[in-house]
Amino acid sequence: MTGRTRDPDYRNPDYIQPMELDPSGAVVVVPEERSAGLHLPGEPVEDETPEPVPAPRRWAVRLLVGSAAVLVALAIGYDTVDLVRRAFDTSMVLGIGAAAVAAGTVLGAFGLLAGELRSLRRLRQIDGLRQDAEHLRAADSHGEAERYAGAVAALYRDRPDLTLQITALKDHLNDAHDDREVIRMVDLQLLQDIDRRAYQLVLRASRDTAIATALSPAALLDVAIVLWRNLKLVRQVASLYGARPGYVGGLKLLRRMLGNIAVAGVAETGNHLVAEALGSTLAASLSARVGQGVINGLLTARIGLTAMHLCRPLAYDETNRPSLKRIRRELLSVPKQVL
Amino acid sequence: MPPSTFRDLTHLGGRAVDRVGELTDRMLDGNLRIGVTGLRRSGKTVFTTALIDNLLHADRLPFLDVVATGRFIAARMEPQPDQAVPRFDYETQIARLTAPDPVWPNNTKVTSQARVAIRYMPGSLLKRRLLGVTRLNLDIIDYPGEWLLDLPLLDRSYAQWSRETLALSKRPPRDALAAEWLAYLSNRDPSGPAEEAVARRAAELYTGYLLACRASDQLLSLIQPGRFVEPGELIGAPVLAFCPLPEPPARAGRHTLWSMMEERFEAYKTNVVRRFFSEHFARLDRQIVLIDVLGAINAGPAALADMQTSLSATLESFRHGRSSWLDRLLGGRIDRVLFAATKADHIPSNQHANLRRLLDSLVAERRNAIRFEGAAVETMAIAALKCTETVMAEHQGRQLSCVRGIPLGRMEPTVLYPGEIPDDHRLLERDGIRKLNFLEFRPPTLAGRHGRGLPNIRLDQALEFLIGDFLS
Repeated sequence: MTGRTRDPDYRNPDYIQPMELDPSGAVVVVPEERSAGLHLPGEPVEDETPEPVPAPRRWAVRLLVGSAAVLVALAIGYDTVDLVRRAFDTSMVLGIGAAAVAAGTVLGAFGLLAGELRSLRRLRQIDGLRQDAEHLRAADSHGEAERYAGAVAALYRDRPDLTLQITALKDHLNDAHDDREVIRMVDLQLLQDIDRRAYQLVLRASRDTAIATALSPAALLDVAIVLWRNLKLVRQVASLYGARPGYVGGLKLLRRMLGNIAVAGVAETGNHLVAEALGSTLAASLSARVGQGVINGLLTARIGLTAMHLCRPLAYDETNRPSLKRIRRELLSVPKQVL
Repeated sequence: MPPSTFRDLTHLGGRAVDRVGELTDRMLDGNLRIGVTGLRRSGKTVFTTALIDNLLHADRLPFLDVVATGRFIAARMEPQPDQAVPRFDYETQIARLTAPDPVWPNNTKVTSQARVAIRYMPGSLLKRRLLGVTRLNLDIIDYPGEWLLDLPLLDRSYAQWSRETLALSKRPPRDALAAEWLAYLSNRDPSGPAEEAVARRAAELYTGYLLACRASDQLLSLIQPGRFVEPGELIGAPVLAFCPLPEPPARAGRHTLWSMMEERFEAYKTNVVRRFFSEHFARLDRQIVLIDVLGAINAGPAALADMQTSLSATLESFRHGRSSWLDRLLGGRIDRVLFAATKADHIPSNQHANLRRLLDSLVAERRNAIRFEGAAVETMAIAALKCTETVMAEHQGRQLSCVRGIPLGRMEPTVLYPGEIPDDHRLLERDGIRKLNFLEFRPPTLAGRHGRGLPNIRLDQALEFLIGDFLS
């Protein structure tokens, strides 16, 4: 070994001569599936949602809500137990009935809670997946992304509408692909198909809100429609990406989305915003109602697109992010349809 | 007007007429000529076969955008535009590669051409409205890699070439192979009378030397002129009866050995090299340069340097640069060049990144020159036909990434740890420190089963870079 080498490998005691090995001991590297604990070991899962406003008195709120909830639960529990006891005093049959109904209620509540928790965990899983993908995309590594691909495939395992895509994905992946290619393959073969469907959903929802707002007689009804339709859209988009959020999850997503829209304007570039503003003023000058409809439609569209961003197990890159362009064009034709 | 210039002019006229016909063709349909460039044994024929096969089946090209987005309709082989050029015998090649006992193609002896017509849906809404289903004709040429090395002759004079070739032949490892020819030359006077017998004998010995170079396991690439070893239809033609001579001290007069050889050299340039170039390479749109980096590494640093020189000299002949729409119509410049390290399946896949960087460092100078002229350049590690798979094997308690496949000449699969290739060729040049060992593998048995096209590594990405924008 020479001392003048720049390459540390040469002096490396681990250096191994090229050789042929026993074929019987070799193992093919196969993509393994991973369903739980999706983030790479050793990397903490951080909640990437930006904290919009620092909350200095959060603990007080928590204390208030927590104690109130315990108080209510205690009161209801106490009352229920009292009720059941009194029912037993009256007659045995009534008592058993009341007890059964009470048990059913408790069970149902637990079931609901469990469902919500599960859905929240799934959302977190997807967040973890997205972070994994970012790490893999940045690193020049090999052989790590198979687990990611397996995890994404596992996420959509029970979806009959995606079996074809998953089969194609598994078909095309082989041992020669490096991590970046695997990630791109997942994007291309599986997620872009979901993207197209999600985009359709967003398109439809934004048209719905636009037309409904334009036609609704009362302002209060507008708000209700927009809220309901947006929540429904978010849940639809999330289920399409495999997040299947419950009510709490949906609300949480919606809240996160509103924060994201306000903070970053995820889907937008500058000219989008300008065009949007121009388009909406034009529409507004045509008719205040219809203009409002268009604006509401745009809002829905932005919420939908943000939902796509947040529920996708892989962040969009520069080339494939969904744009408002088509939706805007569609929405600007709403005045024509309505008038 | 000297006769050679006149010949060039008539030739040019003939070509102009051809061009008009082709021009109309180009306006109606998309035509694209891909130049598959590579020295001998770099895998041009296998690449061409795999490319056609994969386009016909379109089932192993996930990164080719037109396929991934479902806009690809179908492809098929069509009669090629040049009637006088033999058709690329795709059927035989694919049959040999996918036979139960598969074999690699033999040396390519003549040029041949293939045209693949691809029907697809344009990606942009406007084009889709305007054109509907569109088609792209892909013209690919296969030829003996030896001929490629004739291209640098075009801008060399006989004296210049003689000087360079003689100097090269006196350096090891070539000196041993050239001994007989050099001895014969040392007894002849270049300014002596022009005797046909002497010329023939000298050319014969020179050819012998070139053939020995080709056969040597050092993988010497710089073999000029290419027709001497792969004459094609020119066997025995007087235009092949010359060889480099030591330059006479005074200017040689007419009817000397020197002047006769010089005349033949010039004739070779005009009639053979220039014709070959203008027929096949002058109108390329895209170029892929196949480089057998691993083979050269195996053969040693001399082979690697030799290959680098040959490639660099060859690529100078092509016109690279950004092409305007007019250029594209006339087929003037090559605006995308892909350098591909072939046979990437001979190393485990976690080393592909290193192989690519090694290739980067090998072609850095040429790549920058081409990029400067305005063409887009990319490097990749590819395998047109994937013969091995990457496996993990344990050795002294450590997990090693190895390749598993059947080596040439054996029947049983083996697991090979080829060593770690460095990411820069300068690290390789310090001989003896790091040993690498790549085996040649047999084509996979029944590669064509399931009708999916030949298994490959990054052929789709290579295609996306080369023709993707035409299919958008």
